[in-house]
Amino acid sequence: MNPAFLKKVKRNDRLARWVITIGGMAIIFSVIFILILIARVSLPLFLSPEKALRADFQLEQAQAQQVATLGVDEYLETGYLVDRTGRFDFFTVADGSPLDSVAPAGEDTQRRLLTVDSYGRLNHALIWDDGSISIVQVKFFPFFDAQNNNQRSIRHRVEVLGEFPAPESGMPVRSLARSDGEERQVRVDLFADGHLQATLQQREESFLGDVEVTEETHTLSRKSAGAVTALTMSHNGNQLYIATDAGEIERWDLSDSEDPVLLEVVHAFADQRKITALDLVFGDVSLIVGDARGELTTWFPVRDEEGVWKLTRIHQLPGHNAAIDYVSPTLHDKSVLSRADGRVQISHMTSERLLLTIDPPGEKIATYALSTRGNGLITLSESGRVDSWELDIPHPEISAKTLFGKVWYEGYAEPSWSWQSSSGTDDYEPKLSLTPLIFGTLKGTFYAMLFALPLAIFGAIYTSQFARPRFKGIIKPAVEVMAAIPTVIIGFLAALWLAPLIERSLGSLFLSMILVPAALMISIALWQAARKIDPLKRVERGFEFLAVAPVLVMAVAIASVLGSGVESWLFAGDLKQWLFTETGNRYDQRNCIIIAFAMGFAVIPIIFTIAEDSLSNVPPSLRAASLALGASRWQTVWRVILPSASPGIFAGTMIGFGRAVGETMIVLMATGNTAIMDLSIFNGMRPLSANIAVEIPEAPVDGSLYRTLFLSAVILFVMTFVVNTIAEVVRQRLRAKYGRF
Amino acid sequence: MAKLEIENPIVQVNNLKFYYPGNARALHGIDIAFPEKQVTALIGPSGCGKSTLLRCFNRMNDLIDGCRVEGDVIIDGENIYNRNTDIIELRRKVGMVFQKSNPFPKSIYENVIYGLRIAGEKDRSLLDERVETSLKGAALWDEVKERLHESALGLSGGQMQRLCIARAIAVNPKVILMDEPCSALDPKSTARVEDLIGELREDFTIIIVTHNMQQAARVSDNTAFLFEGNLIEYGLTDQLFVKPRNKQTEDYITGRFG
Amino acid sequence: MKKLPTRVKYWRIGEPMVWLSGAALTTTLLTAIVLLIVIMVNGLGVFWPSDIQLLELKDGSRIAGTLTRTEPTADKSGLRRQYKIANRDLYGLDFRWIDEAQIAHEEIPANMLTLERMEYGDFYGTLKSLGHAGQQDPATFAQLESALAVVKADLDGLKELEEKLTAASYRMEKLRLKTLKLDYNKAPADNPERLEIESEKEQIKAEFADLLEVQLSRTAKVREATAVFVSGDGREKEVVLADIVRAYTPNQMSVTEKILFYAGKLVELFIGEPRESNTEGGLFPAIFGTVMLIFVMSLFSFPLGVIAAIYLREYAKEGLLVRIVRIAVNNLAGIPSIVYGIFGLGFFIYGIGHSIDTLFFPERLPTPTFGTGGLLWASLTLALLTVPVVIVSTEEALGAIPREMREGSYALGSTKFQTLVRILLPMASPGIMTGLILAMARAAGEVAPLMITGVVKLAPALPIDGNFPFLHLDRKFMHLGFHIYDIGFQSPNVEAAKPMVFVTTLLLVLIVLVMSSVAIRLRNKMKKRYTFGTF
Repeated sequence: MNPAFLKKVKRNDRLARWVITIGGMAIIFSVIFILILIARVSLPLFLSPEKALRADFQLEQAQAQQVATLGVDEYLETGYLVDRTGRFDFFTVADGSPLDSVAPAGEDTQRRLLTVDSYGRLNHALIWDDGSISIVQVKFFPFFDAQNNNQRSIRHRVEVLGEFPAPESGMPVRSLARSDGEERQVRVDLFADGHLQATLQQREESFLGDVEVTEETHTLSRKSAGAVTALTMSHNGNQLYIATDAGEIERWDLSDSEDPVLLEVVHAFADQRKITALDLVFGDVSLIVGDARGELTTWFPVRDEEGVWKLTRIHQLPGHNAAIDYVSPTLHDKSVLSRADGRVQISHMTSERLLLTIDPPGEKIATYALSTRGNGLITLSESGRVDSWELDIPHPEISAKTLFGKVWYEGYAEPSWSWQSSSGTDDYEPKLSLTPLIFGTLKGTFYAMLFALPLAIFGAIYTSQFARPRFKGIIKPAVEVMAAIPTVIIGFLAALWLAPLIERSLGSLFLSMILVPAALMISIALWQAARKIDPLKRVERGFEFLAVAPVLVMAVAIASVLGSGVESWLFAGDLKQWLFTETGNRYDQRNCIIIAFAMGFAVIPIIFTIAEDSLSNVPPSLRAASLALGASRWQTVWRVILPSASPGIFAGTMIGFGRAVGETMIVLMATGNTAIMDLSIFNGMRPLSANIAVEIPEAPVDGSLYRTLFLSAVILFVMTFVVNTIAEVVRQRLRAKYGRF
Repeated sequence: MAKLEIENPIVQVNNLKFYYPGNARALHGIDIAFPEKQVTALIGPSGCGKSTLLRCFNRMNDLIDGCRVEGDVIIDGENIYNRNTDIIELRRKVGMVFQKSNPFPKSIYENVIYGLRIAGEKDRSLLDERVETSLKGAALWDEVKERLHESALGLSGGQMQRLCIARAIAVNPKVILMDEPCSALDPKSTARVEDLIGELREDFTIIIVTHNMQQAARVSDNTAFLFEGNLIEYGLTDQLFVKPRNKQTEDYITGRFG
Repeated sequence: MKKLPTRVKYWRIGEPMVWLSGAALTTTLLTAIVLLIVIMVNGLGVFWPSDIQLLELKDGSRIAGTLTRTEPTADKSGLRRQYKIANRDLYGLDFRWIDEAQIAHEEIPANMLTLERMEYGDFYGTLKSLGHAGQQDPATFAQLESALAVVKADLDGLKELEEKLTAASYRMEKLRLKTLKLDYNKAPADNPERLEIESEKEQIKAEFADLLEVQLSRTAKVREATAVFVSGDGREKEVVLADIVRAYTPNQMSVTEKILFYAGKLVELFIGEPRESNTEGGLFPAIFGTVMLIFVMSLFSFPLGVIAAIYLREYAKEGLLVRIVRIAVNNLAGIPSIVYGIFGLGFFIYGIGHSIDTLFFPERLPTPTFGTGGLLWASLTLALLTVPVVIVSTEEALGAIPREMREGSYALGSTKFQTLVRILLPMASPGIMTGLILAMARAAGEVAPLMITGVVKLAPALPIDGNFPFLHLDRKFMHLGFHIYDIGFQSPNVEAAKPMVFVTTLLLVLIVLVMSSVAIRLRNKMKKRYTFGTF
């Protein structure tokens, strides 16, 4: 032998060994590993939010005491302080170096600011000590300098949205004002004697261009007993909430300028605790209530049985140890900031999670402002230190409870499991409960298995045990080919052909459910007589399934002919209508019956193939032994073959179940895709898989929806993985037992 | 224990112990030597280790994960269990014919020259010549010369086994191991293979495992009797069958067990 | 033991259960047969030119249409018929139900025409006159046909112009990207390359403008040729000849002519471009996209699957680890395809694709190049999905090879690799082929993962074209399966789209069934060979 060649051959062999070993291991582990990556995408949903102190600087004591409020842009670059003279001093957040300074409400050295009521996107109602109010808005906008290499800088502008003169009836102790900047301005004043006055100003522009201003002043007669401790108003000035030190909340409707209405007085707390802070959650639906005991709750009106809207306590957010002295909403989601004893907490309404606590050591926060995007917070402590915090709160609305539990969403009559990921407006509360989707998946799978299991298993029993080998050689591959039919085709036929057909002939469907078994029973009974004739008896040698075909076809045909007649006879002509009026079941065209047929059809071949394999692999000696003892062929199957093959049948069932759980196209096309939790067979559902297909193209990358969808993929993965692993282990055992499979 | 004194043995086995995975010992220290250009039969009841012993001679047991060998097997002056033994060279030197004939699903021609092909032999005329001599050597040439390029799977069982023998001798080995080569054949085919073994003795050293004592008596020069992993008796076939020295050997060949 | 009467015994020994299990099998098979029949009946008839009936109703109105369905009326008193009345631009609907009781008179007039149009679907009616630039003259069908032929020749000429325009805009796009790159690299305004690009741009712009002018004037000229048709209810409609794809008189056609027509439509189906938001015309881009997808997927999944299987079966040491891996691999085959899809989106598109973009095409950002769905990512996702199929069947094939084969080869002094290449792989090839074909069939029918990794309803360009680098793996593509979903569920006029869905379905079912039948035959053949072989 040529030694050089030998060397080459050996080198090749070694090389191949390395390549195949490394390659093979790499492929297998990467295939397994990458599926873990899906879980990694959904993981940040459960990470805690983070905060980082970006910059801090110290104000001089004198200046610090002059600060009425402060604000910051969403890039955390420029901040501003509003001092008691109503002057806006802008500064660079990074080092506190001063920028420009504006006095939007005029350079009046006499007036001092009592307080500043900030709301919305950097809107400030400056409340002066002479009783007048100016509403000022700060706007930040990025500017790209074309001259200087498109360098970005943040520019700002301060605008006055509205002005209110001092009320004629005297000096209020507390005031509140809102302006939408165009048509409507509302001002509410609380006077020292405890009475409230609302001034509603309406600007109307006639189509000729004349501007007409109407102003109405009303005294709001309170029905509550306690002293007013907190007030808040919606952005548009239509809703007013008043809270007292006796734990009462009054809800006013100011939308009609001529007639403010007191909607209700709620005794919010049984212990009549003092309510110390009020505000509205972004969207102006939910009311945030902070009380003297440090508890933080949210409320919104819910319609009770009589149809009356009642302010109801909805969420209990993590509280403080001291009385809450200030609450405010975030401006892009349903989070709530609250301050008590100099520390600020950020929590989310829907998930009731405590997101972050801002508690600079040794300092007490006097004032704070959140950037409009919620990514930054600037705080001024009592000692005059200004801290700017970078916040990273990626998924505040997600918690185990919102994903799986019942949540009382805004505007809903009761807590519910809901999935509704998006809406047209910004202030929408996303409903990301996976429970209805998991329910939908299981419901669809259940009905599909109900249809598929008996057919597949009994079909497999017949094929492996009773059919002639010649037929078996045709049936088996035919069923395997059936498994290859794309599900998009099954789904399309189910939705566009089967669903209308069944809707038209629902009566026939139910009739055939009775007629088919009846016809089978009758023909089997008749067969007893016929089988005594010799040539006919040969049917019993594996031709039964052919002989039974005409019976089935006839039964279905008769059912479809009689169906409409029966429907008009028993159900007044319309079964669907009858179902709705008699049982309250709405009939959807794309419902579980369709899913049962379509998805059942898709999983039958899988269960059939595996069950048939395991039945065929039972050693023939067992069968022979049983038959030799005088057992009939069915008794042999029932008592001998089936028990030995049952692990295989179980494995097939599991794998079929896994397939049904993950099936996407059929459910996407043939269900209504409504995420409802309803067991009725006449309704559709929305399973996890279809939900992913529907929602993922619209989901912003790395957003909560995106990650939640990945999480639902993980759930699907785990569901199928567990089921398949059980099946696979069972199968390997079986394989070891019978040598081959 | 009986021993056969052999001068210049081609295969010399010293204290060979073999363990299957899990430390189950199958051979308990075998000492045996095989003379050149003679047929030696290994007999013994099922599970006595004769096939295991045979497979030690071309290190076929290496294919089993986790088995272990102790002791020496010296073939042609070289201990094949040395670290630097080249298994490929060894297997070219020690051919093997299996219990079940196992022609590759290729043509007869390709089957015969497989050993040469994998050694890189490309010379067409040499290959042609080798096919002819090997098939003639295996007494198959006349039956298949017309259909050399047809599939080997079309041959009868006996022909297939002779093809496997032809395939083994095509690489010119020194030793041919035969692992019950006739157990799956009908009597007629068996007779032909046995005749062939007789002819091959001229050129090759043959070690044959058989559980058929008549066959051992018919084809072999020497016979070794193994029992439960031990070599019980080893001697000239004529002597061993006629006048076994060991009680166990006698019991076995007279059919009292096995 | 007491002797039971035969009748009781018959039930007692479970004979009826045998019949019931037979019935279960029959039900399964019948369902499959019904499914195939529905697809065949609905799919095959689509292109058959059916007669146009002219109905006169009892209220005096007249309707021309092709009969599509007959069923009992809602009150079961008689029958009602569904007619395709076409002329969407006149009637607004494509179909109409008519109670038989309302029909006063029906006929099949020989002069009824079907026009296939670029827009508004078919037109049923009679020819009134042919015209040119406002001048209308009465004409015969033969004259219409020759006029159409002339227009068609003109349109073909225009197509050349169109191609030139496309090429020009492609070059323009290339230059735009180059400029972007220069911008990104902060090349100064007087960079020679930049100047060159600018001048080239100007040149192409001028070229483009010229071409466009020629095209516009020629198009306008071609569009001057019109014809006036009269619908069944007597309304006249002027149609630009250039908008007519095909005109024929189904009522006059013989069976042979109809068969030829049918064949012509089939050819159009395979090589034609889709029209009317995919509900008319051909399937060529979808077929091509599907084939490309399968091809690229096979390039990945085939070698990877085979190597992994060889490792598992031939090289890895049997043990707990291999058992676990094997379970995992079998398991992977059962993971929902949508999970693979979402993985493809998260890992390939947003992970790798985005990295490629930031590394190689930073100047184009934020417009993604590879960071969006495309052929490559869809193929990779499907490859991942089908690798387990290839692994399982390759492993099965290797495992089915008797041990004696390996021993025979080793005994002759061959190395493991030689044994693998010369003995094992050739013997396992039918099994490997089976796996590959099954994988391909799966890829042909899989839709869910594609929907989120790059399939689109209408791809602007094929993944292969004459522009460097010829194969554009970043492009979006069309797919038969998605086509079904899209036109069946997303098109505005589902009823009118149905025929096309059924045709596509038929085609896809045929492709998949043929592929998997071949695979299963191969596998069964192989099984037989090793089970009943001579050794």
